[in-house]
Amino acid sequence: MTVGQPVERVDGRAKVTGDARYAADRTLPGMLYSYLVMGTIARGRVTSVDTAAARAVPGVVEVFTHENAPRLTSDQHFMPLQGTQIHYNGQIVAITVATTPEQAQEAAELVRVTYAPETPKAVIADALTEVYLPANQEVIVGDPTAGLAAAEVTVTQNYSSPPHHHNPIEPHATVAQWDGDHLTVHETSQGVVNAQRTFASAFAIPQTNVRVLAPYLGGGFGGKSPVWPHSLLNAAIARQLGRPAKMVLTRAQMYSIVSHRAEFRQQVTLGAKRDGTLTALVHLSTQQLSRTSENMYSHSISSRMLYACPNIHTRQQGVRLDVPTSRFMRSPQMASHFGLETALDELSYQLGIDPVELRRRNYTDVNPTTGERFSSRFLLDCYKLGADAFGWSRRNPKPGSTRDGHEFVGWGMATEAHDHNANPSSAMVRMAADGTVLSQTATQDIGTGTYTVFTQVVADALGVPLNQVKVELGDTNFPPAALSAGSGTIASVTGAVNAAALAVRTAVVQLAVSNPASPLHGLPAEQIITQHGYLFSPDRSRRESYRAVMARHGAPVQNTSSMTNARGYSTGAVFVEVRVDPRYGRVRVTRGVGAYDAGRVMNHKTAGSQVIGGFTWGIGNALMEHTVLDRRTARVVNPNLSTYLLAVNADVPDIQAIFVNKPDPVSTALGARGFGETPITGVPAAIGNAIFHATGRRIRDLPFTQDKLL
Amino acid sequence: MTADSEYKRRTVLKAGSAAVTATLVATPAATPAAAAQTESSSVDITLRVNGRDHRLAVEPRVTLLDALRERLDLTGTKKGCDRGECGACTVLVDGRRIKSCLTLAVMRQNAEITTIEGLARDDRLHPLQEAFIRRDAFQCGGCTPGQIMSGVACISEGHTRSADEIREWMSGNLCRCACYPNIVDAIQDAAK
Repeated sequence: MTVGQPVERVDGRAKVTGDARYAADRTLPGMLYSYLVMGTIARGRVTSVDTAAARAVPGVVEVFTHENAPRLTSDQHFMPLQGTQIHYNGQIVAITVATTPEQAQEAAELVRVTYAPETPKAVIADALTEVYLPANQEVIVGDPTAGLAAAEVTVTQNYSSPPHHHNPIEPHATVAQWDGDHLTVHETSQGVVNAQRTFASAFAIPQTNVRVLAPYLGGGFGGKSPVWPHSLLNAAIARQLGRPAKMVLTRAQMYSIVSHRAEFRQQVTLGAKRDGTLTALVHLSTQQLSRTSENMYSHSISSRMLYACPNIHTRQQGVRLDVPTSRFMRSPQMASHFGLETALDELSYQLGIDPVELRRRNYTDVNPTTGERFSSRFLLDCYKLGADAFGWSRRNPKPGSTRDGHEFVGWGMATEAHDHNANPSSAMVRMAADGTVLSQTATQDIGTGTYTVFTQVVADALGVPLNQVKVELGDTNFPPAALSAGSGTIASVTGAVNAAALAVRTAVVQLAVSNPASPLHGLPAEQIITQHGYLFSPDRSRRESYRAVMARHGAPVQNTSSMTNARGYSTGAVFVEVRVDPRYGRVRVTRGVGAYDAGRVMNHKTAGSQVIGGFTWGIGNALMEHTVLDRRTARVVNPNLSTYLLAVNADVPDIQAIFVNKPDPVSTALGARGFGETPITGVPAAIGNAIFHATGRRIRDLPFTQDKLL
Repeated sequence: MTADSEYKRRTVLKAGSAAVTATLVATPAATPAAAAQTESSSVDITLRVNGRDHRLAVEPRVTLLDALRERLDLTGTKKGCDRGECGACTVLVDGRRIKSCLTLAVMRQNAEITTIEGLARDDRLHPLQEAFIRRDAFQCGGCTPGQIMSGVACISEGHTRSADEIREWMSGNLCRCACYPNIVDAIQDAAK
């Protein structure tokens, strides 16, 4: 068996040699370059656009404004360049097209736009009187008022977090080419099938006329799940001009047109008995919405699913601002989870109960909102494994009790939790006449290890070596499969891949046992063992290679299988050590241990890297990441990587990942659950809790920058 | 990375493949004649990349990164920010690591440029490339070519005496999937 083993990435060689071709790496004959002009007001109207100077730049083919841009609609998003209305700063107001990227960029800088501006509202604080409750955003379980009345101890605190931007290292890119009414798009996409649907709908052509390719993606984190308007505009431009067109966003452009995590404010109220048992959990939140959408993504799932509490109230309010529409960003449940897990730490100090023990006392096997039993949940094991590995029992809970030189040392922990998607998916597996195996499915590897895990799954199902299997992904010519978002790829697609491979195995075994020329002739098919590329008799006295069976058959054996799949909830516990330098308010994270219940672990190497990645995102969220808006102009003032700080190598300690590794019985993915978004969720709270332990200072506003600790 | 002779050997070995020549012909804007039509004030330059000379006509404002990616079809070098902040475009110029988005192609003639495509020798990966795979020092791969080129230089500079030293000297290369500890492990492996 290779599933579960730390198999090296099968796409590793392509990625370390530069052979892996990403969307922006495509250069087509006769290709033009499109470049965006971004508006500079957040609210109002465009009154005129002067394109004369831009058009005079050598090599410029066309300049599109709201007056001459192709007419398009999007079923998902506000479509710019269709009128004069401005809804946010950094909205697309023109597109230049030229034969080189430099010419297109120069022309873009020469487009002169005049506006009739109005005063925008940029942050929640600007519009507190406009907070409202959108439909279906309130859940009440039991009687929260009575639960609070019955409490012996209560904690009520407000927490807040800023907007965040996804910032994958690979900028969004789109390369469109038309052949008649057939469109091919190389798109930075986390979901080629969804993208195909969106392009087809925008151009009113059959879905089968659109091919979307994304064999490699340089990071998405949710931001590359939808097809954004700029991709549709670029494809429309390619059609109108009759030449392929390539558009690669600049880093700055990615701060206004490809979404973000919304600014978020929350109030958490916990009521508890003296023994720590929760009697009520009230979670009120307000998140930023835009003028064109009231979709919200920072959900209070943790408050509704994580702890045993008979009386729960979650209310997710919104406020419309003159800013871009937010969307999901890696671990959307993290924003509200930060409030819950910090409030629990505050409660643990009020009660004098260890924070791990407090969570253990509120553990539940049952979803407290629906009353349904979880298919499997080993969160208690996670607390124990994580605490033991970290040495938690040695912790003196008194804040400020541990110093090392001039630094204060603090230990903090939090539960981690995120639910995951599961979507119907299909996959093809074909064994060629030479015995080699190809599997194709239109899901993606966004860096999470899909190529590798599916190679393992196919190899195991057939009983062939890994190097006999090739997996191809990210192409709508393959059988349709799930979006790679919401931690859903493995949970959604593994079952179909496995089923198709098992069907091919069954067919090849049948070919062997039914053919007098085979040494296995006449044996019952169900008793045949397959391993190492061979078919064996039950006593292993006779064998024949797949290669030999297929050579005799002389034709490929193929199967396409489909499967619907189960959603799930992966949990864990994270423990961190911080060191705080009181002279500068500087916080360093010096140790991290996470223990997780993700069902069965398909590949310990790639799953371990997910933990490291998630933990690092947690450090970024806790200590540095925040998008700053100028309140007068509603404009992002730090749209670059030197002022929107991400965690760098020197910010990240060694991180230990532990897995309970017990299969989830309802999983169609060989017992695995979706996992990628779980190991971030608790880290900001754990770091904040550790800072409190180190210093006695409780900071409730993310990020915990140095100014807040001085 | 001072072994010029290695690149010369590569040149000889690759001479038969003509892969780069084919690319030059296939990409209209990349041939000097076609570029002259579209790039108003282009100049003819020669870039020596991975041991091969490439003649191209570019405007003086074209960065080394865009010359590699958009003109020579050497797309292993990635553009992440175009401002020298992320390190995805790191290449070696005369053995030293630089961010190719912050230098102009015309400034880098008569220099030995090494990109990620030039690190392996035929089928044999560079020890750091091997270590990146073994240590799972990447996920999406978007920053990986830059990390590896930077790591090669980090090793040749001698900045590998401790994990902390590697962390510090590799902090100019951002990784959003965030494989930093594995990158440190890989560099330690390859430095041995």
